[in-house]
Amino acid sequence: MRKITLLIVLLFNIIIYAQDTCSNPLAITAGLQTISSIDGAEGVTLVCAGAGNATNAEWYIYTPTDDYTVTVTTDLVANNGRDTRFQVYTGTCGSFVCHSGDDDSGSGFLSVATFNVVSGITYYIAFDNVWESNGFDFELIEAPYVAPLLSFVTTPIAASGNYRNCIVDMNGDYLDDVVSISATNININFQQGTGVFDVQDFTTTNADYLPSWSIAAGDIDDNGFNDLMYGSGSGVTFMKANSDGSGYIETSMPEYVFSQRTNFVDINNDGNLDAFVCHDVGPNQFYINDGLGNLTHNQGGLGDSPSGGNYASLWTDYDNDGDLDLFISKCNGGGAEASARFNQLHQNDGLGNYSDVSVASGLYDPVQTWSSAWGDYDNDGWMDVFVGASSFVDGAHKLMHNNQDGTFTDITTGSGIDTFTDTGIEHITHDFNNDGFLDVFTAGNKILINNQDLTFTATDVGFSVGAVGDLNNDGFLDVFNSNGNWYRNEGNNNNWIKINTVGDVNNPTGSNLNGIGARIEIQSALGTQIREVRSGEGFRHMSSLTTHFGLGLDNTITQLTITWPSGIVDVFTNPTINSTLTVVEGASLSLEDFSKDDLVLYPIPSKDYIFFKNFKLNTSKVIIHSLTGQRMFNFKTEENKINISNLQSGIYLLTLQSGTKLYQQKIIKK
Amino acid sequence: MIKKNYLSSLFVILSFMIISCSENEVSESYIPAVSPVNYNLDAFPYNQLSDYNFFEGNLENQSPVLGVIPYKPISTLFTDYAKKKRFIWMPNNTSANFISDHEILDFPVGTIIIKTFYYNNVLPSNTTKIIETRLLIKKVSGWIFSDYVWNNEQTEAVLDNSGSNVNIDFLEQGIQKSTNYRIPSQSECLTCHKKSNIAIPIGVKPQNLNSNYTYNSEGSLNQLQKLINEGYLNNVDYTNVNSVVDWKDLSQPLQLRARSYLDINCAHCHSDNSHCSYRPIRLSFNDTENSDDNIGICVVPDEDVNSVLTHVVSPGRPERSVLSYRMNSTEESVKMPLIGRNLVDEQAVSLINEWIDELTQVCD
Repeated sequence: MRKITLLIVLLFNIIIYAQDTCSNPLAITAGLQTISSIDGAEGVTLVCAGAGNATNAEWYIYTPTDDYTVTVTTDLVANNGRDTRFQVYTGTCGSFVCHSGDDDSGSGFLSVATFNVVSGITYYIAFDNVWESNGFDFELIEAPYVAPLLSFVTTPIAASGNYRNCIVDMNGDYLDDVVSISATNININFQQGTGVFDVQDFTTTNADYLPSWSIAAGDIDDNGFNDLMYGSGSGVTFMKANSDGSGYIETSMPEYVFSQRTNFVDINNDGNLDAFVCHDVGPNQFYINDGLGNLTHNQGGLGDSPSGGNYASLWTDYDNDGDLDLFISKCNGGGAEASARFNQLHQNDGLGNYSDVSVASGLYDPVQTWSSAWGDYDNDGWMDVFVGASSFVDGAHKLMHNNQDGTFTDITTGSGIDTFTDTGIEHITHDFNNDGFLDVFTAGNKILINNQDLTFTATDVGFSVGAVGDLNNDGFLDVFNSNGNWYRNEGNNNNWIKINTVGDVNNPTGSNLNGIGARIEIQSALGTQIREVRSGEGFRHMSSLTTHFGLGLDNTITQLTITWPSGIVDVFTNPTINSTLTVVEGASLSLEDFSKDDLVLYPIPSKDYIFFKNFKLNTSKVIIHSLTGQRMFNFKTEENKINISNLQSGIYLLTLQSGTKLYQQKIIKK
Repeated sequence: MIKKNYLSSLFVILSFMIISCSENEVSESYIPAVSPVNYNLDAFPYNQLSDYNFFEGNLENQSPVLGVIPYKPISTLFTDYAKKKRFIWMPNNTSANFISDHEILDFPVGTIIIKTFYYNNVLPSNTTKIIETRLLIKKVSGWIFSDYVWNNEQTEAVLDNSGSNVNIDFLEQGIQKSTNYRIPSQSECLTCHKKSNIAIPIGVKPQNLNSNYTYNSEGSLNQLQKLINEGYLNNVDYTNVNSVVDWKDLSQPLQLRARSYLDINCAHCHSDNSHCSYRPIRLSFNDTENSDDNIGICVVPDEDVNSVLTHVVSPGRPERSVLSYRMNSTEESVKMPLIGRNLVDEQAVSLINEWIDELTQVCD
């Protein structure tokens, strides 16, 4: 009798304590379980879902005997009023990898997560007491395996800065690094490839203005190391990398600006990267870079609403005429003047004059938007836009299709975006599943996956929009956000290519070193895809300056074309897929001699026409720059001559691109 | 002989005086003294604060001249613990009209509202330092903002509408605090002080003024009554004005205290036709009287500021409430109010948390 009692007591003890630590989890299968209370001594320090460590947890292990799509849920009637959270891991105690988890997706504060499991793998499920220790029931449900549309692994990273909003190459090796900012420190996790990082801290003098509203990166002095712009509520601070990237020099600008989105962009097309700052409560401001280290403050001409409402600027060549135009996502309270509330499209005439074509374009919309995602969603060679609503009071999300004639058509109805009900401030576009069609990362932790027919399917990835880049160089785009984690895209079998653009800064007619503003186009079996090199998309974050394309299952790119801001065009046939191409401006071209090829330009000087002897211009490109690198657009190209009567008198550099041949010569307008 | 004549002359003079005084008492009415403020509407704003002649004696004493009437809203705006002195002045023979309990009085052209911001116990010397004096002047075309920044000597304040920052270390109830105090630019003034994009004052509503103030001359008197007595407010029965409470008054119900705090600190942006009207909450005292939605109870936030926050106000759960989170933040893109403060109003956060703790609504 006593022995049996002892046995029963022992058994009872084992059952009570079996799930209190990771090393002593309770093995479960599909079905209902009851937790009497969360008091297991071992808590949770790797948080996959929600925020904050927990002191206690109850531990379970589950090893499926087949592949399943599993749901773990506490959203049961019996749990009414409870506040639960759980994490799901693979790996072993002490070296876990996040697999899934949830905090509040169930009704009230209950939790539910659906995730895939592989036969024979052991999964740890920990219910923690970050909110309360009361007991509850949970259920594990096995359903037939459905391949996920997208899959990311939550991975901790030692990003110690207060502002975790930037992915960009910081040491000139063209690998995306993870940047986090504090007032006197730039913390950089330098990518070593394969998901390993080498972290370094760079002490700076105190930044008067922090990137509380946005951050942008770009090489403003062309020294080979990207600089940073911090956009704060009362001004901007630049952190310029020194000549070898070993330190950063802080310059805080004296002008008051309530920053929102900031960008590095060559506004006046002179080959020097300028800095643009959206102003929340006044006309937008920008700093023009003279290429000699001077940034001159300007205000006016790029969104002049007296009370601002400028939330995000997105520079894009929407009319495919070779210069960058400006779209401003606008947001403001009711009763503000229309110019503060209605989105704006400013068309660049090439001469640096921007005119407001909002109404004519069809993009004049009072929807309260903090950012919009511009991309070619149907691969027809023209930029479309997903206008993201931060509130539905003045309109909802919109999908606007480029009609190729300066106007846009609202194609939201039936696109899946009409039934997308989350609101948010951050909307960006990238190809996350590498199928060759751009997806939209948007509100509610959702990525809208492009179904390749201008409809989209929302999938919840469990984390919010952040900075995007390839953090393990595997060709699939990962995310870094304010949680301080990076989210590794698990990828799939699709192919891809990445391109780094390097402007020719030794040439007065060359583009900025990052190639910001370049248009890149590829052609493969699935069609034509286009991208632009942009610094500062969405609202807050800075994403990689490396251009990324997914290819689906195509294994050949027949042609890759880069149209640089300078005007010259590099063409490559059959570039290597599943790798990164770093292209220096003009690399595919050979510099030729006019006279050697029996080409003559005359007369020089001229006051109106310059004739091209022995040459027809219809298949070539004529590009004109001032001697200081300012691109000129006010001339006309005709069959065998150009008309330069509108140019101011002076000396210019004329570039003629004919196929891969590049000719350059000085001309004189008198 | 001379003495006699002197005395006679004196008697005559005195008689005349008595007669003339009597005549005056009988036939002439009392002529009130006129306010010595330098009123020239077209010339406003002046370059220096002293040019207005609002104050007598040393400018730093802020002693108002005749016609410059001090006031204090029942609950006040938090500005990094800065103390305030508020005054109002109107041109002779003009007065304001009562519109409703919760609306700004309808002020006449020429009205000037004056607000001086200062700190006591400024370190290192534990002295008083006046930072700025903001004026709202009602011109024919509407209200204009004029900000006067005080010099270190505290003798004068000069017009500067471009905005600036002042680092201040001070003691607040014995505890050292520090802030990079923001003196606003014009566009910042307008961000809060507007309705339908038109500049307006904020605090001067009957609901905020229906309280007693201790005046130098007459002692404790209702502020609305004082304005009526001064001829600044046309006579109105204010006894039933639905008034806010002093949120620091612990004897008042939590809900009234919370609603009063939110009104004066938040409602100017969180109202119809105000800066943040596209967000669903409406935080004026009037709007929160009968509506859970307006004050954010069980309202799902438009923006995901932090994944643990489920509602603007999550009943019983301050740690899940966006309202509490934002009030407790110093991060520029998270904190509320959006501008006008850097430091956290810790007492107010405690109030809001207490109020949320006691809510029992269940959200869907």
